[in-house]
Amino acid sequence: MSAGATLLQVSGLEVGYGHVGVLRGVDLAVSEGDIVALVGSNGAGKSTLLRAISGLLRPSAGRVVFVGSDIAGQPPHRIIDLGLLHVAEGRRLFRRQNVHANLELGLYGARLDRAVERQRYDFVYELFPMLAERPQALAGVLSGGQQQMLAIAQALMRQPRLLMLDEPSLGLAPIVVDQVMEVLQRLRAAGTTILLVEQMVERALDIADHAYVLQNGAVIGSGTPEAIRGGDLIRRAYLGAVSDRGA
Amino acid sequence: MGDAARALIRSPRTRPVLLFALALALYLAPFAVGTEYRLFIATQMAAYVLVAIGLNLLNGYGGQVSLGHGALVAIGAYTVALAMVDHQWSFWPAALLAMVAAAAVGAVMALPAFRLSTWYFALITLGFAEVVGGLLTEWRELTHGFAGVVGIPKPVVLGHTLTSFDLYWLALSLNILALVGMANLLRSRFGRALVAVRDNPVAATAAGVSLVRIKMMAFVTSAAMAGLAGALFAVQKTVVTPDDFTADFSIFFLLMVVLGGAGRLWGPVVGAVVFFLVPELLTALQSWRMLIYGVALLLLMLYAPHGLVGAIETGWKRLRTRLGLSNILPAPSLATARETVQPVAGAALSVRDVEKRFGGVAALAGVSLDVAAGATHAIVGPNGSGKTTLLNMISGFYPVDGGTILIDGRSVVGMAPHRIARGGVGRTFQTPRMLPQLSVLDNALLGAFPAERQGAAAAALCLPRARREQAASLGDALRYLDFVGLADRAMELAGELPHGQQRLAEIARALVGRPRLLLLDEPAAGLSLAELDRLGELIAAIGALGTTVVIVEHHLELVANICRSVTVLERGTVLASGTPAEVFSHEEVIAAYMGSHTSVGQAAS
Amino acid sequence: MDLDLLVGALTAGSLYALVAMGFNILYRPTNVFNFAQGDLVMLGAMFGATFITLLGLPWFVGAALAMLAVAALALVEEKIAVAPVLNRSASSHGWVITTLAVSMILANLVGLGWGPDPIAVRPPAPLSTDTFELLGANVSSYQIAVMVITVALVLGVEAFYGTRSGKAVLAVAEDRDAALLRGINPNRLSSWSFFLGGGVAALTGVLAAPVLYASTGLGPSLLLKGFAAAAVGGIGNNRGALLAGYIIGIVEAVAAALLSPGYQLAATFAVMLVILLIRPHGLFGRAEARAV
Repeated sequence: MSAGATLLQVSGLEVGYGHVGVLRGVDLAVSEGDIVALVGSNGAGKSTLLRAISGLLRPSAGRVVFVGSDIAGQPPHRIIDLGLLHVAEGRRLFRRQNVHANLELGLYGARLDRAVERQRYDFVYELFPMLAERPQALAGVLSGGQQQMLAIAQALMRQPRLLMLDEPSLGLAPIVVDQVMEVLQRLRAAGTTILLVEQMVERALDIADHAYVLQNGAVIGSGTPEAIRGGDLIRRAYLGAVSDRGA
Repeated sequence: MGDAARALIRSPRTRPVLLFALALALYLAPFAVGTEYRLFIATQMAAYVLVAIGLNLLNGYGGQVSLGHGALVAIGAYTVALAMVDHQWSFWPAALLAMVAAAAVGAVMALPAFRLSTWYFALITLGFAEVVGGLLTEWRELTHGFAGVVGIPKPVVLGHTLTSFDLYWLALSLNILALVGMANLLRSRFGRALVAVRDNPVAATAAGVSLVRIKMMAFVTSAAMAGLAGALFAVQKTVVTPDDFTADFSIFFLLMVVLGGAGRLWGPVVGAVVFFLVPELLTALQSWRMLIYGVALLLLMLYAPHGLVGAIETGWKRLRTRLGLSNILPAPSLATARETVQPVAGAALSVRDVEKRFGGVAALAGVSLDVAAGATHAIVGPNGSGKTTLLNMISGFYPVDGGTILIDGRSVVGMAPHRIARGGVGRTFQTPRMLPQLSVLDNALLGAFPAERQGAAAAALCLPRARREQAASLGDALRYLDFVGLADRAMELAGELPHGQQRLAEIARALVGRPRLLLLDEPAAGLSLAELDRLGELIAAIGALGTTVVIVEHHLELVANICRSVTVLERGTVLASGTPAEVFSHEEVIAAYMGSHTSVGQAAS
Repeated sequence: MDLDLLVGALTAGSLYALVAMGFNILYRPTNVFNFAQGDLVMLGAMFGATFITLLGLPWFVGAALAMLAVAALALVEEKIAVAPVLNRSASSHGWVITTLAVSMILANLVGLGWGPDPIAVRPPAPLSTDTFELLGANVSSYQIAVMVITVALVLGVEAFYGTRSGKAVLAVAEDRDAALLRGINPNRLSSWSFFLGGGVAALTGVLAAPVLYASTGLGPSLLLKGFAAAAVGGIGNNRGALLAGYIIGIVEAVAAALLSPGYQLAATFAVMLVILLIRPHGLFGRAEARAV
């Protein structure tokens, strides 16, 4: 049940780059302490939305308000300073550097005491024991699941208030996806708010408090997971009427 | 503006008449204003223009920065000088030898450089220039060292020794020939291929262009022209010394090309003229010359990257727009015999146990599929399942780590992508890879590259066989543009087309190559509903021609409508395979997309 | 091989390695190869010569001032000739011509400012270019100093890339977007890299002056030899550059002894081309992944 204050408010957001993944007037709200799922088929604009929020893309219209500050059009490092972190799709790590270096880069620009930094490392290694086992391993030789954990861990080094994840289940085995979802739930319990973009609708709805469905750059519906599951939106967004066509 | 002026600007016959008049004026000029000094300067300028035209081909159109063309001129000059003075050759065979020598030496330097990146090439050519300069001084037995070669005689034609008037006319004629040949070459498939290599090498490779061979062609052509200019240089100055060919000399030519307008036919002419005239007017600033050139080069690259001619062209276009004239040329008409697109014998595709690893991640872990000749087949699956990777391996852009891929029974594993393309495999990309500065028609014509057989020389000379091939390709390109529904936008710049139509143009380009196997990578991405319908009809029509079509797609509805068979990939392995109806009602397929708990049918990795 | 020649070759090779390192520092975050690098080295030599010889400042002060001046110039170069071109289009190669233009401007400004005559620079006391016998070879204390300083600098720069800022530079080189998402500002890192690269170039020039003479002809030859060292070693790899520098120094010495000094550059280039043909990414370089 979402009872927290609104952490992130997106209103009337429009983004165009080239002509792919255009966003047309997106409205979205994330309450503190929630896991909010954003689902939709490929090309719906989910990644574009996250990139516009985190500052990689400049919106052509609309507002993005995070903890009271208008962040639309701000450079990424300032948005990160406010506590909004984005784990991009495809496990974007620095593969030529090792696990520890990747985590250290998560602290870039944070200006913290060594003691506090030590705590961050401890927190992350405790949450992801498989990373603690091989901190010297190059990120490029880790398995897909380990890379995903490292990417999340890297973002967690900044102790974000809102963590956005873009398709963390991409190409991962079901058991590993379970692990990732479990980590997200633990983070929610610890107070991190999460905006989760997923193609795997069921998994996302399982852990979400609230969900939005995106299609062709616009929100076609939102509500509680039960409401979304029960309705027609998902079928429409993904499969059209394929399963009805029969042989 | 007066009606007469408007009519003049509009008429298509204005240009050739003006050019003819210009040429005539230049030929007759010596009689009116010719002094020895002016003729000398003009002839030297003409030699420089020759080099600049060649360098423009390599740099402006090909995108390769060469800082060694001064050395190529030196090789040409010294070849002629030594041949004529030390070995009593006549000028004409000596000049031919000069062209061959410059081209050959240049090729030895360029070939390794082309395998490396662009800026390596620039530095290697710079080094080449320095080395040649050094060798001209050091290798005294051959080059006469510091003193250089003196007493080079003037050329002789049928007993008549050429005067300075004659030399000027010779240089002028060579320039005109070079410009005409260049214009022909640029209009041909080589011009398009060169621009493709510069602007979108991946698209060029997919159209069957060998990047190294095209770059070599451009380089050898420009080197030969530099060598010829060197020959002119030698007989005009009658003395060549190493001091004539410092490293700065090469930079002059680059400056001329950039100043005049890189990638513009008249750029080198304008650039050379301005480059020559300015110092004449600014003799007071002689010692500041190189500094001024440096500043000019910097400012040009920052603010006018297309040089003077580019600026004039932009101004001209604006003028035409203001007069209400369209800047889009009229499309050529479809005047050849074949009225419809021809059917194609589709190729069968067989993929067996194919593997691909990226670092620690297995993108494909043993994928097999079969597509019958002439069938339309889809590869679907969630993100990260390896669909595009598979397509890239079939078309040769990614090396195969394991397994076999057979097209019509022949293995393509290990084949370079441009050779696979030439073998009859066409493809499109997730984001359309167009040449934005060329027209839609030119982009489509790029697809005809492998089909045409004309050589560069035939193209430059505009031989009848070359002309016939070009006309046939033009007809094909127009027909396929019509086929995809873009006939009315053929002459617009590809970069200005909206996304959905760029996608259609890319499909047309692939079709012009008459592929037996067509690979489409997410053709439906970003299309509107109306465009989706048209795409479905188009793919069906392509299949009806007999082409085997393999589509990677997310739009399952589109797939169900047009595909005979479907392969579902998940995390690098085949999850299901069969007709759309079979596959899409499969529990596990739905689960793979939506990720329900009950999907664990395969072993966890 | 004559040991004296070897010492001379290793000293020259150290300087080439330093030039290559300057290239590598600039290249890392920007993927730009600075055609004006040789001129920055030369400027360092000229500034150093002016401060130390003509103005009589202590060596360290003169060197530091020269480094500051050239570093500032490199920063200006980045702002006006590199950043605007990179911003225009990510895959543009316009910077080849703009950095070349900067090279022309710098070379000619120096020529106009200082004239063609070389300025003699003496090494700082207690070092000198007088030779003494060591292990059968005639070496000077200055030559030893140059070699030691070079190795120290290479190790120092390597150490820098182990710091958080250094890792950030490597991150930008590998994946610009991912770096942006972690709060790294690629533009600032590019500027700082040019500043640092300029400083290294100046130091190279100051070190080279007593050995090679501070003159305006220094630029082009250092550009090519520095490039050769960087390419043979593998662009971006400083230890590779060190080794490659030594190789080139030795090739030069051998060519001068066997043929004549005029063939040095030809020999160097021939060797470089052969190595690049066999290993296109240099002895220690790594192939870049290609995205389709």
